[in-house]
Amino acid sequence: MASPTRASAEPRGTAGNADTANPARATLRWVGNGLALWLPALPLLLLAIALLVAPTIELILSSVRGEAGGWTIQYWRDTLASNGGRQAISTSLRLALICATLSLLIGGPLAWLISRMLTLRRSVWLALLNVAANFGGVGLAFGYVAALGTYGMLTLALRDIGLGFDPPPIGSLTSLVLAYEYTNVPLFVLLTLPAMGILRTEWMEAAATSSATRAQFWRFVGLPMLAPFLAAGWLLIFTWSIGIYGLAYAMGAGAATIGRLRLITLQIGLTLNTGVGREERAAVLAVVLLLFATVSLVAYRIILHRALRWFG
Amino acid sequence: MVRVGWVGRIAFFAAIVAYIALPMTAVVLYSLSTRWTSNLLPDGYTLRHWREGLTETRLQQAVLRTTWMAAATLVLDVAIVVPAVYWQRVRNPRIRILTELSAAIPFVLPFVVIAFGILRLAGRYTPELLGTPWIILLGHAAIAFPFLYWAIDGAMAAAGISRLNEAAQTCGATPVQILRHVVFPNIGAGLATGGMLVFATSFGEFALVQILVGARFENVSLYSLNLLTETSSQYEKLAVLTVVVFVILFAISVAVVALNRGQAGRFLPGVRAAEGGRSE
Repeated sequence: MASPTRASAEPRGTAGNADTANPARATLRWVGNGLALWLPALPLLLLAIALLVAPTIELILSSVRGEAGGWTIQYWRDTLASNGGRQAISTSLRLALICATLSLLIGGPLAWLISRMLTLRRSVWLALLNVAANFGGVGLAFGYVAALGTYGMLTLALRDIGLGFDPPPIGSLTSLVLAYEYTNVPLFVLLTLPAMGILRTEWMEAAATSSATRAQFWRFVGLPMLAPFLAAGWLLIFTWSIGIYGLAYAMGAGAATIGRLRLITLQIGLTLNTGVGREERAAVLAVVLLLFATVSLVAYRIILHRALRWFG
Repeated sequence: MVRVGWVGRIAFFAAIVAYIALPMTAVVLYSLSTRWTSNLLPDGYTLRHWREGLTETRLQQAVLRTTWMAAATLVLDVAIVVPAVYWQRVRNPRIRILTELSAAIPFVLPFVVIAFGILRLAGRYTPELLGTPWIILLGHAAIAFPFLYWAIDGAMAAAGISRLNEAAQTCGATPVQILRHVVFPNIGAGLATGGMLVFATSFGEFALVQILVGARFENVSLYSLNLLTETSSQYEKLAVLTVVVFVILFAISVAVVALNRGQAGRFLPGVRAAEGGRSE
């Protein structure tokens, strides 16, 4: 493509090519070609740049830009040295670790069993899991209170039959794990279910014919094949659990205000909503979440790359 | 040994069903109870909360607002995602690098972080947008588009859109005609699945609405939070609202499963697209 500046330096009309002869038209054609290549995707790309990419960059910048305008790592140092910041990061990680592992241990076998069902029964299970996976946020927080709060259904039932049952206080780590798993386990099943199809029934039969036990089949064939998919599911639940906000806010905002619970997302949300705490520290915590997300994404891509060998 | 496995399996299924059913049952009973403080079941039943709740303007407004926001988000996403995916498949594959990267952001980055970033950015450049439904619409369209993107990308691969496109072009069809008469009719299932996830995402979203607009656009999540934290006497109304929301989401979930003919409504993103891409 001839650049307009070079073209305009030449005398008009001497070159045979119409493009170089008329710089205005050359530019126009260049723009036209570009538009033809990109125009239908422009609205989506502009939206993504304005509302996803630019805000992310803005957060990174505001976590390292001082009040005077220069660069500083002061906010990072302050946040990571502060008790609150450290506690928030470690509690978020611990919570996500517990949630992802429980999802794997419960959701993995469940996905396997559902994948072996006949279509009708499987549809019923899928509908049930889909409903649970979509029942999140504030509504689920209330569901938890109605079931396991001080006057919750299960609490009352257990007291009724004479058990001195004290439910975990709302906003404690146990209560958050119980509530988070309500959407996490179904999500894990829905995410890994398509992968369960790669294990053929014939292979189990072949293993049985070769006098392998069930445990041996799983140890040497089943789990190694499913491992990348299960790992990908674990990683996603881990990442998403760190980032859960609506449910955490509805259940834990009270405990967080008095400092009994600290989660990264809650610290950010409370700073923005109440104005207590400094926005720069919230920005640092947001960038910490961004770092976790980036690491997860890269790991997810690597795992998925391995997993897709089975589809080759 | 076989029998133990069988019993264990039944117990496992029963525990899962109980776990999923318990909060929902409790909420439904709450919405029907007169008073509930001592036993497994409420002390008495009444339809009063339903009558009061469904006729309350504030509740109706919240449900309406949430519904039209979700519908508007869906329309906007369909309008911008379908042409982009079509164009990257038939004309300019380089678009894919950018769309995949964009789709990854809301996939792994918590919405509260995105909301925070938008708040700072909009506060600096377009403060007049803050506090309006418009910024919610744009934000929801941005965070929900990956669901539609992956579903449509998979559907286009399965339908063999590039070959259909060549055939249509040979017949002299324009890109707009192709979109209207060839692409859209062939990606119906993907459109429905992805579209419903977009709708559900916007419907249940909390972070963006709370941080960017707050009480000026009281949707279902915000009103629910208000009822939950205000006073305990509001629990019955909250129960009614939760059941209403739940029924709407349930209808969507059932439709998604039905449309997928017994397959999971979600999948590990990348798996199906890569599968479809190879088969084409």
